[in-house]
Amino acid sequence: MRQSRNILITGSSRGLGKDLAEHYLDSGDTVYGCARSEGTIEHDSYFHYKVDIASPDDVAGFFYKLRKEIRHLDAIINNAGVASMNAFALTPIESYQKIFEINVQGTFLFCQKALGLLKRSPNPRIINMTTVAVPLQLEGESIYAASKSAVETLTRVIAKEYGSFGITCNAIGPSPIDTSLIRGVGKEKIAELVKQQAIKKMATPDDVINLADFFLRTESKMITGQIIYLGGIS
Amino acid sequence: MTNSDIQEIIFDAIEMANNAREDDKQIPVSEGTELYGTNGHLDSMGLVGFLVDIEESLQDRDINISLTDERAMSQSSSPFRNVQTLTDYITTLVKEAE
Repeated sequence: MRQSRNILITGSSRGLGKDLAEHYLDSGDTVYGCARSEGTIEHDSYFHYKVDIASPDDVAGFFYKLRKEIRHLDAIINNAGVASMNAFALTPIESYQKIFEINVQGTFLFCQKALGLLKRSPNPRIINMTTVAVPLQLEGESIYAASKSAVETLTRVIAKEYGSFGITCNAIGPSPIDTSLIRGVGKEKIAELVKQQAIKKMATPDDVINLADFFLRTESKMITGQIIYLGGIS
Repeated sequence: MTNSDIQEIIFDAIEMANNAREDDKQIPVSEGTELYGTNGHLDSMGLVGFLVDIEESLQDRDINISLTDERAMSQSSSPFRNVQTLTDYITTLVKEAE
């Protein structure tokens, strides 16, 4: 039987993060979740921490606490993220700052601070989240897509730098899923987007979970620095 | 925190690094051990992992310092050369942080 893993998931209070957390709890793993809000999962193997991912002090404090609890982490899933739709010319600087603080700086901080815990795992894994808005260069999503471009580059470079510790680092780019992240996007725009996919269907959280499972498998030790989009977008 | 406390933290980090190394690549746990550079036992990423372990051990003792700031990188004589130079460097940083 597979040993229980210690998995850290950011943004685990709702949406995809919550789905991922529940999936790994059902699989017998221990999940350390964090979000700005209170935890929404009741489970003996779930431990929730209130963390503002955009705050370096908060993140450092969180890892300080986590190191008191555990000696190693097997995986970290940098799921927390924010999106914003706006014409580039009208995007306020505050939106730009918020999106980059959470999506880029948050991923940067978690990948950096988790190194000590990850390198004590026999099969350490990092999964970052990107979006099909990067390859599709979607209008109205300039800052969101730019932030995820940065996440993709971080993913590839971290894969090279952390490779010597046996840590793999990959990213998942979901095609449209019905989560709060796209709730503000019009139905027609979503339909138009789905039409550009090889597989012309909305994705489900299970499609993301399937790919996360693949990256986390022990056998996936040679898979790193990869960005995989759902729906056949490349 | 005394010099010997700091040296103890460095020795612990060497032992942690040794856990992940082959038997014939073990780093001697000694004051005279060369760490990085000519005759050093660590490559660049090995040094990164080693410094992360030391920073975390210091944080566990409520000492928050960064070992790899621009000053360390810009010193003509690297503070990461050997156990002795690293001990001296950390001692200076800890005193400054107090």
